[in-house]
Amino acid sequence: MSVTPGSSNTPSASSPIDLSQDDQFSKEDTMVLEYLRKRGLKQAEQELREQLAAAGPSTDSKATTVSTAELVKKNAPAIPRSATDRSNSLADPNISKDAISVVVSPLLGTQMGSLGLANLMNAVGGVEDALATGPTDRHDGFRDLEAWVDGSLDMYRPEFRPILFPIFCHFYLDLVEQGLKDAALDFFRTFSPSLATHHLPTLRHLQSLSIPSHVGQDELARRFRNEKYLLRMSRSGFRLLVGWLTEGTGGEAAGAGDGFTGESSRRGRSAVMQVVNNHVTVEVLPSTGSTANAAVNWEENTGLVSALIPDGSGRESAPGVSAPQAFNSIRKDLRLGLPAMEDNLRDEVERTLREESMLNGEAVNPGGRYDPNSLPRPFAPPPNGHPAPTSSEQLPMPPQFKTVDVRREVEKIRDARKRIRLDPAGYSAEADLNGLDRTGMVRARALPSICAYTFHDANDGIACSTFSQDTSILAAGFSESYIRLWNIKGEKLKGMKNEFQLSSIKDSNSLKRVRERGGNTTRKLIGHSGPVYSLSFDPLTGSAAPPKHLLSASADATVRLWSLDTMTNLVAYRGHQNPVWDVEWSPMGIYFATASRDRTARLWSTDRSTALRIYAGHQSDVDCVRFHPNALYLATGSSDNTCRLWDVQKGSCVRVFLGHQGAITSMAMTGDGRYLASAGEDLAINLWDLGSGRRVKKMTGHTGLIHSLAFSAESTLLVSGSADWTVRCWDVKAPGGLPTKRGAQDDIAMVDGFGLASRRVPATADAGALPTGGLNDGPAEQNTETTDLLATFPTKRTPIINVQFTPRNLCLVSGSVASGTGDNR
Amino acid sequence: MNGTGKQPQRPPAPVGIFKPEAIRDIAEGMGISTLPEGVASALASDVEYRIHQIVEEAVRFMRHARRTTLTTGDIDQALRVLNIEPLYGHTSHSHPPFRRANVMVPGQAAVYFVEDTEIDFDKVLHEEKVFLPKPVSWKAHWLAVEGVQPMIPENPPQARNEAGKTASPAPAATTRTTKTGTAANKKQAARHVLSRELQLYYNRLTASLLPQGSDSTKRAAALASLRNDAGLQALLPYLVRWVGERVVHALKTNPGADADGKVLEIMLEVLAALLDNPALFVEPYLHQMLPPVLSALLTASLPQERSSKLRKTAAQIVSRLLTAHSTTYPSLSPRLTKTLLVALLAQGKTSGTREGAVRGLTGIGKEAVRMGLISAGGLQLLSSEPPDSPVVSAVLDALRALYPPGTTPQPPPLTAADAMLLRQTCGDAVANALLRDTEWASGVAAQIREPDDQPSGSLASSGALESTQAALTMLENMDMEAVAASMGVDVPDDFEMVDSMDATMEQVA
Repeated sequence: MSVTPGSSNTPSASSPIDLSQDDQFSKEDTMVLEYLRKRGLKQAEQELREQLAAAGPSTDSKATTVSTAELVKKNAPAIPRSATDRSNSLADPNISKDAISVVVSPLLGTQMGSLGLANLMNAVGGVEDALATGPTDRHDGFRDLEAWVDGSLDMYRPEFRPILFPIFCHFYLDLVEQGLKDAALDFFRTFSPSLATHHLPTLRHLQSLSIPSHVGQDELARRFRNEKYLLRMSRSGFRLLVGWLTEGTGGEAAGAGDGFTGESSRRGRSAVMQVVNNHVTVEVLPSTGSTANAAVNWEENTGLVSALIPDGSGRESAPGVSAPQAFNSIRKDLRLGLPAMEDNLRDEVERTLREESMLNGEAVNPGGRYDPNSLPRPFAPPPNGHPAPTSSEQLPMPPQFKTVDVRREVEKIRDARKRIRLDPAGYSAEADLNGLDRTGMVRARALPSICAYTFHDANDGIACSTFSQDTSILAAGFSESYIRLWNIKGEKLKGMKNEFQLSSIKDSNSLKRVRERGGNTTRKLIGHSGPVYSLSFDPLTGSAAPPKHLLSASADATVRLWSLDTMTNLVAYRGHQNPVWDVEWSPMGIYFATASRDRTARLWSTDRSTALRIYAGHQSDVDCVRFHPNALYLATGSSDNTCRLWDVQKGSCVRVFLGHQGAITSMAMTGDGRYLASAGEDLAINLWDLGSGRRVKKMTGHTGLIHSLAFSAESTLLVSGSADWTVRCWDVKAPGGLPTKRGAQDDIAMVDGFGLASRRVPATADAGALPTGGLNDGPAEQNTETTDLLATFPTKRTPIINVQFTPRNLCLVSGSVASGTGDNR
Repeated sequence: MNGTGKQPQRPPAPVGIFKPEAIRDIAEGMGISTLPEGVASALASDVEYRIHQIVEEAVRFMRHARRTTLTTGDIDQALRVLNIEPLYGHTSHSHPPFRRANVMVPGQAAVYFVEDTEIDFDKVLHEEKVFLPKPVSWKAHWLAVEGVQPMIPENPPQARNEAGKTASPAPAATTRTTKTGTAANKKQAARHVLSRELQLYYNRLTASLLPQGSDSTKRAAALASLRNDAGLQALLPYLVRWVGERVVHALKTNPGADADGKVLEIMLEVLAALLDNPALFVEPYLHQMLPPVLSALLTASLPQERSSKLRKTAAQIVSRLLTAHSTTYPSLSPRLTKTLLVALLAQGKTSGTREGAVRGLTGIGKEAVRMGLISAGGLQLLSSEPPDSPVVSAVLDALRALYPPGTTPQPPPLTAADAMLLRQTCGDAVANALLRDTEWASGVAAQIREPDDQPSGSLASSGALESTQAALTMLENMDMEAVAASMGVDVPDDFEMVDSMDATMEQVA
């Protein structure tokens, strides 16, 4: 059976079913037909024949196995559905002239009357164009485009550079779709190195696509095909681009012989133009602005963003909302302020504090009088320039406060008094300007004390760990499906005896009686049936007492609530369909949020076994989840390279943060509720302003995945723990940016994020040998530390999986010693 | 027909991890012997894509488990979420030891297999104790105290500490004590264990180098190994120390004996070989390598027949060392010059020492020769040497370095004044030798007459003997601290170097 490219899809090529009818039926059917004919049952035979014909030649109802011929056919080059659809009219160069005539003739028939000759000529020209673009044209076209971009003025290069990537991807997909595997591979090998610095993960994924059916199936390829790739350009830059596309003006090819005038280059340009027309949206900005600014912002406004931006609710759901900024600005202002303490509770806390200071007032305070103004932090939370939510907007809480609430708040104030102030302002600037050795005083004021808890003999088994807020318990979740608790203070962790009657417990004495006798300082919690990926201690007791509950999220798609009184599992929350990556308590307890591989984040309350809210919208796994300090908003980070901020109550997305070039690995919110820090697989930490939705700055310097982020209590210092065996401290308030000492040329390269930096890829790195050791072995490793990196504290082969600040600003980090001998950095 | 015609044109062997041949092998294993080329190729591509898909999924599990190595568990999880039955029986903790089997059929790719280990039941049953693996434990330490990383064993050594870089070192001259403190720390931290192989190598090597230990072929092989082997870095400190010890021993016990002369010769060869080895990083050990060389160069008495050769070799080593390392240690050449000048000019040195000094200066270069022989009056000091003394030949060598001997067959005649000057300053023995080549002689005379046009004219003064004294006092006052500060590194080490040089010289003298 011949596999004619034209026959499979072109509607005009009607293969006469009647002639080859019997061939198309399976053997059994043919036998039945034969039988019916022999018996003279004409009517029955006819009916069966019709039915079989209607079911189609490749009916799978009977023959479930796919014959080899079918397989070949399925993977044969895909052919344009119709010639007028120029979006995909990427015809095979080998198609014969007959096919063209077939394609053109209906055009002649249908369009002659209404459209006239000019349009017809256009259409035919288009067809010719489409037919003319063969693999070499794409190759040449891309080469010319790259030469043109590189040869353009420095002023425009950062604007033009991003256009290369979508063109590259579409050309590659085109080639694959046409079944030109070798040409595709060759194309990939030639041009991918210059793009590898910024798009390595995508390139790796593309590389795995090599037969036509993959292009239709693969999610990324589908997104490329169906969504518009957004680019931003200034008006003049866009004009230049159009000029080049149509006339080939404005650039000179570096040693490209006949340059842009030749026929082949014209065809190449038309191939580029097709992609630009069909798959790229260029947002034209009124003015160029500062190029440096444009260069920095490319990652926020470029890419397949249309699906990442949620539909604008109601009034402006038009497709005009393509940029994240536009989306963020049409959402109304957020109530990011921190709620004031409830009146009754505040009175009670004040009373307790007063009594306390009366009791030991002589020793501590010579005045002997409690003075609320002497507190370093008054009861009202610090204003952050945003409206504070009213109590009706907040998550519903129990009407009455309890003793534990008072104790927690009192302890909070005590902590605030005793807090080590960390103020890195001026620390780095001073050192840079004066070149002076930083004095101990300044350093002590700027940098925290860090206590490292190193796990031994864990054999890579520890997937997560966390400290309770009062630093009494350290918990670690293991890949072997259990959780282990350690009491850091050396006290014994006791559960309850196995059998006891609840009714027998009347007072604390009888409670003590049912406690376990012996006990150990460590304890195992068993219940999950998959690796435990996240743990969270309940915040209800604050730093006043050991926590009562622990939440754990696991690959078995459940979240479990553990009682630390009885050391048993209380509830398993089921609802997620896929592994749960992250869980966090809301700041006031009771509620918690989870993030899962099923692309949703969910809100739960401890007393219900089903989710209260489902936050859907991410295009890929939701990797991490963090609550805003006022519990009104929830931030999620996802593998679709975005972070989102959700309204917890309404369940709607209120902010989108675009800019990471890889999946989000970790997030942290400042205590004052204004900023969000997120770390991605691109080894960068981005700081976002929640109010405006803009990126404040990008911090780079890590050479391994960043597993954990934490802000100091004043939100002035950010600490990050990474798989590169370091803990790094960042100045939140400093402007950041890359150092400018290494010469202007170098600096431009880094600021461009594109142009020259990409040239540093060794020319020998071909597609087959894309760096495989992970993202961290990029060539630009040496000069990635931004100036706001205050200090780097290396550990002895210990990837840091958790960093945390105590309420008194001591930094706690934990990690398990790398077991292998291989240096994975 | 069009399509079938196209079939052969399709790429026969697409590139990828999975080759169509592998697919066909598997198909044959399942009894499908006729698998069309196109199907195999498409299947190979598809298999590759599926594996990519699974690995991509598994990497997510790896990332969330906060690891950087992919385990079989991750793959299992990925398969599970993709609705595929996981592969049972592979655990992360036992890495399957793939072994390569040599296939004798030519043209056949290598075959890998997993080896099944044999378990001896008797042994397992009779084993007395089965130890549980150690439970997971934790240990706390201070990673940083108020922003400073404490120097405790739990933290990585300062060398790798990038934070140390930010706390820039204060000017070296003011913090000598602290610097020595850190140097001590460094030494403590750098304690390491020499592997057994290297120890064995070291023993063999030293044994075969010593003259009583072996014959000359073995020794030549040992020296060649020193000159070329790349893996000797760990041995370098031991070798250098050994050379130093042997040299001191040879000079101390019986300086005149022939056997010891031989030892010295070999030791110098060893040092030369170490310096020649391109794979070795000798700079940290220069201060230990110099004393033996200088000792051989300047020692008062050497076995008669070897003396000249030894000193020449030593001077060559000095010269080579300076050309290679004077850029890293700018003060190295002034220091050496100083040591040699002292040896040349100081009262009561033997002619052997002076010969060595002259040869050493020749090795350092033209400037040093001019400084030592002319500006500081070395020529005059040596003018009374007998004509057959080795000193004279050394001086002549030095003068050759100072001004190349004439090449023209008919040199212009020497003026009487120049001849007089030469005789006065150089003494009869040297002057006679000089006067045989008038062009050379006049050149040398010009150098002697006009010492002021040289760059290091500050050291020069008119009277020869006064200049000797002046030069010596100047050398004494030379601000070593300043020089050291300009070097910025290894101050204590360098002082050690000077001290050890002096000590050796005293010993030798």
